[in-house]
Amino acid sequence: MRGENTMDTLVEIQNVTKTIKGRTIIDSLSFNVNEGEVFGFLGPNGAGKTTTIRMIVGLIGITSGDIKILGHSIKTDFEQAIKHIGGIVENPEMYKFMSGYQNLIHYARMSQGVTKEKIKETVEFVGLTDRIHDKVKTYSLGMRQRLGLAQCLLHDPKILILDEPTNGLDPAGIREIRDHVRKLARERGMAVIVSSHLLAEMEMMCDRIGIIQQGKLIDVQHMTDFVQGKEKIYEIEVDEKERISEILSQMELPVQATENGIALPLTREKIPGIIKEIVSHDIQIYSVKEVNKTLEDRFLELTSKKEGLSHD
Amino acid sequence: MIKLIQNEWMKIFRRTGTYVMIGLLLFILTVVGAFVKYQDSRGTIPDNSEWKRGLQVQNESFKKEMEDMGPAIPEAVKDSYERQIAINEYRLTNDLSPNEEYSVWGFISDGSQAIDFVGLFVIIIAGGIVASEFNWGTIKLLLIRPINRGRILASKYITVLLFGLFMLFILFAYSMLLGMILFGFPEQASPYLNYQDGVVTEQSMLLHLLINFGLKSVNMLMLATMAFMISSAFRNNSLAIGLSIFLMFMGGQITSLIAIKYEWAKYLLFANTDLLQYFDGTPMIEGMTLGFSIVMIIIYFVMFQAIAFYVFKKRDVAA
Repeated sequence: MRGENTMDTLVEIQNVTKTIKGRTIIDSLSFNVNEGEVFGFLGPNGAGKTTTIRMIVGLIGITSGDIKILGHSIKTDFEQAIKHIGGIVENPEMYKFMSGYQNLIHYARMSQGVTKEKIKETVEFVGLTDRIHDKVKTYSLGMRQRLGLAQCLLHDPKILILDEPTNGLDPAGIREIRDHVRKLARERGMAVIVSSHLLAEMEMMCDRIGIIQQGKLIDVQHMTDFVQGKEKIYEIEVDEKERISEILSQMELPVQATENGIALPLTREKIPGIIKEIVSHDIQIYSVKEVNKTLEDRFLELTSKKEGLSHD
Repeated sequence: MIKLIQNEWMKIFRRTGTYVMIGLLLFILTVVGAFVKYQDSRGTIPDNSEWKRGLQVQNESFKKEMEDMGPAIPEAVKDSYERQIAINEYRLTNDLSPNEEYSVWGFISDGSQAIDFVGLFVIIIAGGIVASEFNWGTIKLLLIRPINRGRILASKYITVLLFGLFMLFILFAYSMLLGMILFGFPEQASPYLNYQDGVVTEQSMLLHLLINFGLKSVNMLMLATMAFMISSAFRNNSLAIGLSIFLMFMGGQITSLIAIKYEWAKYLLFANTDLLQYFDGTPMIEGMTLGFSIVMIIIYFVMFQAIAFYVFKKRDVAA
């Protein structure tokens, strides 16, 4: 993969499989996450995102394969591995009958060397200073999410894992989490793993995205490639759809019929040649236009394609 | 480890429920104290001059009865008669009157009935201490710290024990305080007469009461351990609390019912938790000894702990 070898790999997922009662939930999953990178974990509900995240933090066992955190296996060297991780798994569950501060004290006691100053600093970072001594049950969801974030930053982890961090948050809350995540990756060089089923959100937050479906990692791409790709999709408006499809298929181009004509992926340089070819067959072209592909189209396309294959 | 226990302690004492429990315990003791204080029969001191004759008459009638019945006398009855006779004779020879004024000691002894309430509260805490973390979802945050699961569970169990001790301390201290205020110390300290293997010995009242407290708490300890086991193995606090409380009230009765017909009842937990039976009474089933019961208790204890730890360490946390 391009140029990533220069960065440190913090998390290695090596051929991980999880079987529960004979059913394979996660199937030979492998990927790496590097220092300073925000890795998005994208997939429809029930695809295995949360299961994978639970395996990374050691909440559930791994049937086969291994997960290494800074070289320490989460299976055999749990304490050494987990101390580099801060995480929120699903909702930021806190002890509601205690204040935010008492909750942080509670978690601070479970890691080595978290000072009172560090707690104060973290509370400031997430912007909860005014309300930290109130009971958690009086907090809004956004504030709980911030407290959850504070809780996982207390011990200065190298890796941050957020499972559905923006679930149920309002737009302002989503934006806030996004800003925090980007800041932590950029300024502190943390590796961040974020899972979500919301595409637009991933688009804005992540550097790289892995798509998981039915327990399999079906694609890992850089954000910029992912949305646009090197090729763009062009729609050519014509009358004689079938003839043109035939001609272009002979040139081994993947053609799809649309409402007004055909669509196919092309790089910019190839367009004049294709037009010339079509015109030489005496077919009328009414328009050629670029189709902007959204992440959503691409995502649905990828997941449905793989699904189609698996049904064959 | 100390920090983990501090955490658990904090989580118990940040909840109002805990203070309600303490309040209820104090309230019950106060009601009992007031009741004893103002009830009519108290304070009438029996005729002191006649006690020696009374004891002699009692002993004679016991002896006569034992002779009359001969070998047909049940072991349990024979034991209790012999015990009573020995204690009476000890009183006669050492000039110790059985007529005692109701004092702080009597009240503490009555108050020790409230150990069942302490048991109830400790079961509630033990049944919730693991299962609640699952219910709240906080278990996920608890288990992604650099501390292995065994230590987390151990800290929780130790906290349950400390909470039990704390409640027993409150019970003992408050009934002592209340007893002193309401009834005062007896004018002359009369010892407790302990009968074992045909020998009567004197024991200080305080020591006797402390031992009594300890023995009565064994039942509580085992039920709390069971509740803790159910709590961590099934992650269900209502099951843990419900079943343990049911067994606390019914376990003894059910066991004695089974014991009427079957001898294997002696291997049941509740045949063995009442260690007082070896000191002040006769065992539920013939042939049971203190040593046997202690071994049985240890076996059950190890079994509960093994299940709790095995399941808790193995389990996938998907809640």
